[in-house]
Amino acid sequence: MIFNSEISAQQQHTTSPVVTGGSVIALVYNGGVVIGTDTLCSYGSMAEFKNVEKIAQVSKNTIYVSSGEFSDFQQVVKELAKIDRQALQYDDGVHPSPRDYGNYLARLSYKKRCKINPLYLQNVIAGFHNGERYLALVDIYGTYLESNFVTTGFASYFCKAIISNYWNENCTLEQAKQVIKECFKVLFCRDCRAHDVIQIAYVDEQGTHIEQPERVETKWDFNGFKTRANEKLHTQ
Amino acid sequence: MNYTDILTSKFEPETTGTTIMAVIYDGGLIIGADSRTSSGQFVADRCADKIDYVHDRIFCLRSGSAADTQAIAKYVRYYIDAHAQELGRLPAVATAANLFRNFLYEYKDSLSAAIIVAGWDPYKGPQIFTLPLGGSVIEQKWSIGGSGSTFIWGFCDSNYKENMTLQEARAFVLHAVAHAMYRDGSSGGIIRLLNVTKDKIEREFIDYKDVPVK
Repeated sequence: MIFNSEISAQQQHTTSPVVTGGSVIALVYNGGVVIGTDTLCSYGSMAEFKNVEKIAQVSKNTIYVSSGEFSDFQQVVKELAKIDRQALQYDDGVHPSPRDYGNYLARLSYKKRCKINPLYLQNVIAGFHNGERYLALVDIYGTYLESNFVTTGFASYFCKAIISNYWNENCTLEQAKQVIKECFKVLFCRDCRAHDVIQIAYVDEQGTHIEQPERVETKWDFNGFKTRANEKLHTQ
Repeated sequence: MNYTDILTSKFEPETTGTTIMAVIYDGGLIIGADSRTSSGQFVADRCADKIDYVHDRIFCLRSGSAADTQAIAKYVRYYIDAHAQELGRLPAVATAANLFRNFLYEYKDSLSAAIIVAGWDPYKGPQIFTLPLGGSVIEQKWSIGGSGSTFIWGFCDSNYKENMTLQEARAFVLHAVAHAMYRDGSSGGIIRLLNVTKDKIEREFIDYKDVPVK
């Protein structure tokens, strides 16, 4: 999606992304919310930055990930950090809840959308507050949707079926992580801009836990793959 | 005069079609760059120094529009100088990287600039920050940039090792930049190397006749 306004001596609002992050998948489970993303930032079609940790801990009980332009993601992380800092000035001990962050981001994204200068991102905010799980998607236009599971990018095409069949909102953390890993296996097989090293993070009553990146196992040694050869089609 | 023509670049902008590279080794980092500044097909400057001074132990490698990157580097050099005066000690490499990042991000629609910020500070040792076109900041152990870098990803991916010695890192950078210059029309001339450590900065001039791949 690329759109330009008239070229003029002032600012052009070209909005094609340069460095992009891949799909994000987030699921609610019985004790909290878990998010998975891969560790790749692509420069167009090139897999340029391969060990990028893209999960941001925004507060003690909120995590933020997004897919799309990486510089905009870094900018949003800075903007969200400002909120808690500014809240300290009230000196009343009240900290923003995960929903506050989600709402702020939706308003910010909508404002930029109205100026035809969007934050080129699909944003996912996850948190756990007052015993309640929180998961929301804020898209490039500022559309705000809370739900039990969220996918961005290619995952929206490939992974919703896997999620519907193998996940429910009251599953365990291990089950939810397993579903996320299965989804990223499929993405690695079918999405050119995906990488098989993923990172998972979850928020529960105790707070946020961001795990180390890990490689998902994909199977390529199917007999059909190995024995498939063009000469078989054309010779006897 | 037709201003639209100038603004829509009927002139080929002077760019640093280039090969730039920085690699951290055990004890410091090595920076390398070619020396060709091209204006379309014409070599405007055949012995340019693309390793720009930002502070005593902080350097930046510029690619993209020469005008854009020189202007930004000049601002950042000024800001870092003022900051270091007030701080009373060496500034952090991350600070310089963030100052560059603010320019590249806020003016992303008008600039054509990609920068590698590399240096040493007493807080975290040698560091390299890659700042590609959109204004992201990504910290890496080694980084290549410029038009010539496309030709050496394979070479670099297979030859890079963690914790190299100074000699290994120098040879890695020298050969990588040489290979890029060999195939990229926008890179060429001589190779400039810089070794940045806690104690000193060492510049090296590799004459055309000593470039390993020609």
